[in-house]
Amino acid sequence: MNNTETPMPPKETSISRAHRLFYLIPVMALAIPFVANEYLQFMTNMILVYSVVTVGFNVIIGNLGQLAFANTAFFGIGAYTAAILMVYAGFPFVLAVVAAALIGGLGGFLASVTALRGIRLYYLAIITLAFGELMRWVYLHADGVTKGSDGLQMPKPDFFGISMNNETVKFYVFLLIAVLLIKATSNLMRSRIGRAFVAIRDNEAATASLGIHTARYIILAFVWSGAVVGVAGSMFAALTERVFPESFSLTEVIVHFAMVLVGGTGSIIGSVIGAITLTALPEYFRQFPGMEELFFGIIIVCVLLFLPKGLVSLLQRVSPIFIERFYRD
Amino acid sequence: MLAQLTISGLAQGAIYALIALSLTVVYRATTIVNFGHGDFVMTGAFVVYILVILAGVPYIGAAFLAIAILFALGIAISRGFIDPIKAGPHIGFAMMSISVGYVLRGSARTLWGREVLPMPPVFDIEPIFIGDLVITGDALFIGAIVSVLLAAFFLIFYKTSIGTVIQAVYQSERGATLIGINVRSFHEMMWGVGLAMGAMAGILIAPISLLHPDMGASFLIRGFAAMTLGGFGSLGGAVLGGLLLGVSEQLFGAYVNSSLMDITAYLIIVAVLVIRPAGLFGRTIAVRM
Amino acid sequence: MDPLLKLEGLTVHFSGLKALTDVSFDTHAGEVRAVIGPNGAGKTTLFNAISGYVQPTAGAVHFKGDPIHGLSPHEISSKGVRRTFQNGGLFPELTALENILAGLHTQIDGSFLGIILGTRAAREAERAGVARARKLLDMMDLGFLADQHVKDLSGGQQRMVEIVRTLATEPPLLLLDEPFVGLSPPMRIRMMEIIRKLAGEEGIGILLIEHAIDLVMSSSDIIIVLSSGQKIAEGKPEEVRENHEVLEAYLGYA
Repeated sequence: MNNTETPMPPKETSISRAHRLFYLIPVMALAIPFVANEYLQFMTNMILVYSVVTVGFNVIIGNLGQLAFANTAFFGIGAYTAAILMVYAGFPFVLAVVAAALIGGLGGFLASVTALRGIRLYYLAIITLAFGELMRWVYLHADGVTKGSDGLQMPKPDFFGISMNNETVKFYVFLLIAVLLIKATSNLMRSRIGRAFVAIRDNEAATASLGIHTARYIILAFVWSGAVVGVAGSMFAALTERVFPESFSLTEVIVHFAMVLVGGTGSIIGSVIGAITLTALPEYFRQFPGMEELFFGIIIVCVLLFLPKGLVSLLQRVSPIFIERFYRD
Repeated sequence: MLAQLTISGLAQGAIYALIALSLTVVYRATTIVNFGHGDFVMTGAFVVYILVILAGVPYIGAAFLAIAILFALGIAISRGFIDPIKAGPHIGFAMMSISVGYVLRGSARTLWGREVLPMPPVFDIEPIFIGDLVITGDALFIGAIVSVLLAAFFLIFYKTSIGTVIQAVYQSERGATLIGINVRSFHEMMWGVGLAMGAMAGILIAPISLLHPDMGASFLIRGFAAMTLGGFGSLGGAVLGGLLLGVSEQLFGAYVNSSLMDITAYLIIVAVLVIRPAGLFGRTIAVRM
Repeated sequence: MDPLLKLEGLTVHFSGLKALTDVSFDTHAGEVRAVIGPNGAGKTTLFNAISGYVQPTAGAVHFKGDPIHGLSPHEISSKGVRRTFQNGGLFPELTALENILAGLHTQIDGSFLGIILGTRAAREAERAGVARARKLLDMMDLGFLADQHVKDLSGGQQRMVEIVRTLATEPPLLLLDEPFVGLSPPMRIRMMEIIRKLAGEEGIGILLIEHAIDLVMSSSDIIIVLSSGQKIAEGKPEEVRENHEVLEAYLGYA
């Protein structure tokens, strides 16, 4: 367009071209089922689920900069929505995923709607905490439908006629979903909407002075996060095939926080790194009561004290290609 | 029946009041909301348990020791974990306090596994009968102790020179620095005080409750509900909110549905923040954007 | 000429504090008006009341004939009343370019769906916005710091970036909150030139706050003096300088 009038700094253009290298990752990942055994594939699938969780969660914690405890609520809403529709209404997986996104987004709206009346920071955090715990109470007590603490057993999900009955099929489906959602979130952040989020984080008063209705964008961030994490929930349901309320407890909250912090707040690349780094651990620690909380608590404390911008900040020092800007060139 | 429920509600609410007050003390002093506070209360209860059951220390002695330990812990946390990150964003403090809480919770769970621990009854006070009302020994004890503690707290706060200093720093930290008050030490002290008060709540709960590592979460949410209801940041509001919460839980549980008792706190939070965010005595907390 | 901004009896009383009492004046397009007064006179409250961050207790504010008192900050801003902030209205973790782009927010097209799907239309709108932001920075000779985080810039550079961002919103009325604070003398002269140019050439109406009288003497057309929340003088710089009440207000605080 106006490229001839304003010479673009060469460094930035070559960086945005280098970003295309990131597409190589999912391409290379296609080979994983051929080299990994069943258990490793299960782990990889879990990593994909948590990548979507962290990417969604980071929008609120890292980009919007608000404290929120509703993430496990969205995760659970997505899981139960998908599971219930697949169990009781015979929904195919794709429709269940879409439903999970819609209801998760609705959850995001409900958790944040008080922002319209000026609720922020700690109060918003508390109301999201209340929302999360209320949802868990619902999972436990609506046991006619959710089967409460016995868990809701799911049939093998159906993806366009292909039965997702082994880890490999699940892997390709999850990979597709993860790539789409991560790309969509990246598009969102590199637009005026993403800029509005981080502007609100940095200085809400100044953001309003630019004619931006900040409460609406706060709600939008929550709706997006709720939808994305809701989809992750539906993936989680399909992966574990039995949905329990305990999977969405307050312990899970700290796992999500830890992944986002370890990877890097406000960074999509960081979110994925955090998921890859930490996913295997909850499974491992579940055997020893208390170790999960102890370990993740210590991790977060260490990150906050010694590496507040997460692992991605180390990568950013090595190469600027890991820096994420909030515009498209 | 109504009166009976109110009595038990007030006894329970007294503890919530103590938790909410300790949260408010730290919040007013440092503008930080300690999201790990529930776990500190739990720690207070567990410390008492260890001292009484495993070390044979008499309850009173254990209580004082627990308070001292938690006071020291509060100072340590402020110095070691909060102060180093004070230049960062506010959500960092919240995450730090949650994480420290989780470390405590995880430690407790590691040490105790999956059991719940009963503490043998500590006091053998005869219940009082007034007409149809039964006031249990526990309720009497808790009510009495909490009343004394609250009275002492407000006395110190409003009537002594220490209290005046605290009020001064609450109002203006810069002003306080100018007149020679060491604000950093003040923050540490207030963390110590907040945690010590939380310990008191834990100590009172220990004999009447089954101890388990997840206790903290329910205390935290009750504390928040009480603070929200009474008006965030208001000391008197925290106390009143706690008492009202305790009574509401009993009434909801009895007249509406027993499973509602668990979620009364959440419902109150949502209701207050939607209808009147400032609560009963709080200043407006809504942002004008 | 009709006034761009019209204040009538603007009053802001907080519990126990009368920040502003019965303040009235006009501002016109292409004119630079300075609001001066000693500390605590109510200047910042005045700006906050006009721009919506503080609810007026009484009185009216009209912009281009429309009432704006009682509206929220983003609504008032959208109508064309833009402002800067005294202690940094910038977004510290964003680059200078991203800050300018934030100012162009309402001017960049692209639907939500288009954005997340990455449609060509959305991408083109975004690129156009970026090009425009770069041009704006270049016009002020700030192009070289487009990709630096604003928190790493010097005070003067930050102030300039904020001005550019505010200009990106194409404001008919500009409220400048202490634009000279923290600037070196040469930068102050540059700022005065920019202010005069914006009013003279671009026809923007400018209202600025400043508490140093000498800085506004040469840059303003009309000076309004506040003291303890009330307007005690209004007029051309030479007139105000001779005004006894004004001198008393300032000297009284010496």
